[in-house]
Amino acid sequence: MHTSLHAACILAAVALTLARPSGAPATHGGTDSDPAVRSARQPAGTGAGSQRLTTGAADVAPAGGRAPEGPAVRVTGTIRGRVELLQPRTEPVSRPSVADVAMGVMHAVTDRRSVIYLDPAPRAAFDARDAPRVHLDQRNETFVPHVLAIVAGTTVEFPNSDQTYHNVFSLSKTKSFDLGRYAVGRSKSVRFDRPGIVRVFCDIHSHMSAFILVFSHRYFSLADEDGRYRLENVPPGTYNVMAWNESAPLESRKVVIPETGGEVEVNVALGRR
Amino acid sequence: MSGYARRLLLALAWIATARVAAAQPLPDGPIRAFDGRVVVGGEVTATAGTLDRDAYFNYTDYEHNALRMMRFGVSGVYRPAAWLALVGEVRSEDFNHPRPYAAYARVRPWRDRAFDVEIGRIPPAFGAFGRRPYGTDNPVVGYPLAYQYLTSLRTDAIPATADDLLRMRARGWRASYPIGSQTPAPGIPLVSGFRWDTGVQARWTTGPVELSGAVTNGTLSNPRLGDDNGGKQVSGRMALTPAVGFVVGVSAARGAWLSRTVTPSSGAAPTQRALGADVEYSRDHWIVRAEAIWSRWSFPTALGPSNTDSVGAIASWAEGRYRVTPRIFVAGRVDRLGFSTLQGTAAGGPRSWDAPVRRIEGAVGYYLERHVVLRGTVQRNWRDGGRVTDHTYVSAQLTYWF
Repeated sequence: MHTSLHAACILAAVALTLARPSGAPATHGGTDSDPAVRSARQPAGTGAGSQRLTTGAADVAPAGGRAPEGPAVRVTGTIRGRVELLQPRTEPVSRPSVADVAMGVMHAVTDRRSVIYLDPAPRAAFDARDAPRVHLDQRNETFVPHVLAIVAGTTVEFPNSDQTYHNVFSLSKTKSFDLGRYAVGRSKSVRFDRPGIVRVFCDIHSHMSAFILVFSHRYFSLADEDGRYRLENVPPGTYNVMAWNESAPLESRKVVIPETGGEVEVNVALGRR
Repeated sequence: MSGYARRLLLALAWIATARVAAAQPLPDGPIRAFDGRVVVGGEVTATAGTLDRDAYFNYTDYEHNALRMMRFGVSGVYRPAAWLALVGEVRSEDFNHPRPYAAYARVRPWRDRAFDVEIGRIPPAFGAFGRRPYGTDNPVVGYPLAYQYLTSLRTDAIPATADDLLRMRARGWRASYPIGSQTPAPGIPLVSGFRWDTGVQARWTTGPVELSGAVTNGTLSNPRLGDDNGGKQVSGRMALTPAVGFVVGVSAARGAWLSRTVTPSSGAAPTQRALGADVEYSRDHWIVRAEAIWSRWSFPTALGPSNTDSVGAIASWAEGRYRVTPRIFVAGRVDRLGFSTLQGTAAGGPRSWDAPVRRIEGAVGYYLERHVVLRGTVQRNWRDGGRVTDHTYVSAQLTYWF
């Protein structure tokens, strides 16, 4: 009894060790502690835990030291370019279930796209706006789309378009939720109020996963299948263009939108070949 | 500190150290290679609990304590073609040599039909519990009595009389009989939850109906790699899904169960016959299951003076899990195992040939991560016989899978 209690204490201690320590490095795009999340939550240069986290753009000092233009500015620019993923994408696969009698099917995720956003964002990005609703479907045991970029305050609907149960949940610090099991034709929703990265899973199908990137501003863009993106109506100023992909470390490029506006091309290569 | 605790400590320290050293989390999904044709997953389960050197309520047919066990499992699938998959899993319990738990080829002869054939050491066709992945799908820590509790029957030694059998009541952890092997050894459960059988299985799914049938070397109680019992087991299951989240299944099995060393060379081989029924219903944050198994084992000759040439057992249980929050769940299981009666000479009237057992278990679980689960459980057992008639166990379990 004595030794087993000892073992139980050890077990509990190791369990606590296994629990992710705050600030520990994480997998690419995998957790709230990613640089992408920190950037999404707060502008660059404010530092972790800064009081500026929720104060909006008025307090933001851009990377170049110049204050971004306010809502009254009419001259804007466009940032466009391409995000190239150098390393091969890793497709999610089911756990090898030796007890599964059936052959099963491969569940390929084809839309593992990158997200590009500005850091810091122009002040106008934080203007009040309507709370939109978007869909993250469950179809053929896959979340569609696999990557969703939304602004804080958005409500995401999770319809079940399969013939089987799904149980959408997330243990992310940004938003923790569990929608329970619900059948085809039904939908449940979650409102995302805090910026950050939310990893979404299905409790029943281990191969199902998705990313929801929640931004405190609207200067972000989901790249297309070729990696091309476009950020429009960017006020003059100096910004960091951040490129995120779940398969690679976060990358940033400094960009200046001149007072005269115009179009700036920023190409980013993610990962290592 | 006992040897078990020391090894548990070493293993857990190794996991924690590896994690820190790698400066990144342990993988949370399977490892893939060769364009996804090879997929490897694993599961580590560390269970620390109270000792059980008197009651043996949780001992397994590998002589390990299910509530005090360190288990490593690595499974893999290789798909050389769309119609073929090679599947395997090796497990080590309490740091023993790894054993092949599963090793089979899965073939889908027709691409557009949900018909699969498996050959090798295959998953059980009988029942529902045996196919569920333990770490992620077992709501509590313990196993159902039918799949774990050792009855006093042995496949390599048999009683000559009813009194021989009755003397072994509640001694399934170490039974001995006059015919066959003279060495005391553990008995067999109704259905082994720790070993899979070897043979061929076919499964066909059409609409809400799923049919599976298997021919194997061993029996439910004693799955085998090689055949030592003079006959094959035939088993099957039909599952119906009338609504999403609601599954009803019935199973049956029949096969020669005794080793040739204790059966006469002529005549029909004694059989184990079993019937099973299972049901599962899930909705929202609930999942509820129930299963019942009836099994009967026959002997080569009648056990005098009862004139009974077979004995039976019935096990039934119900379990449920409720997810309170995204990280916390509560679960419980009520379980019962009963035995048929036998007339001996020592006791006044008929007695059950083994001591009936009841069990209740409650658990609380916490998801540290999606793939790291911590469980705490309290299990209470009652038995109508044996040196220890009731016992409470407390255990904690950490499960990690990828």
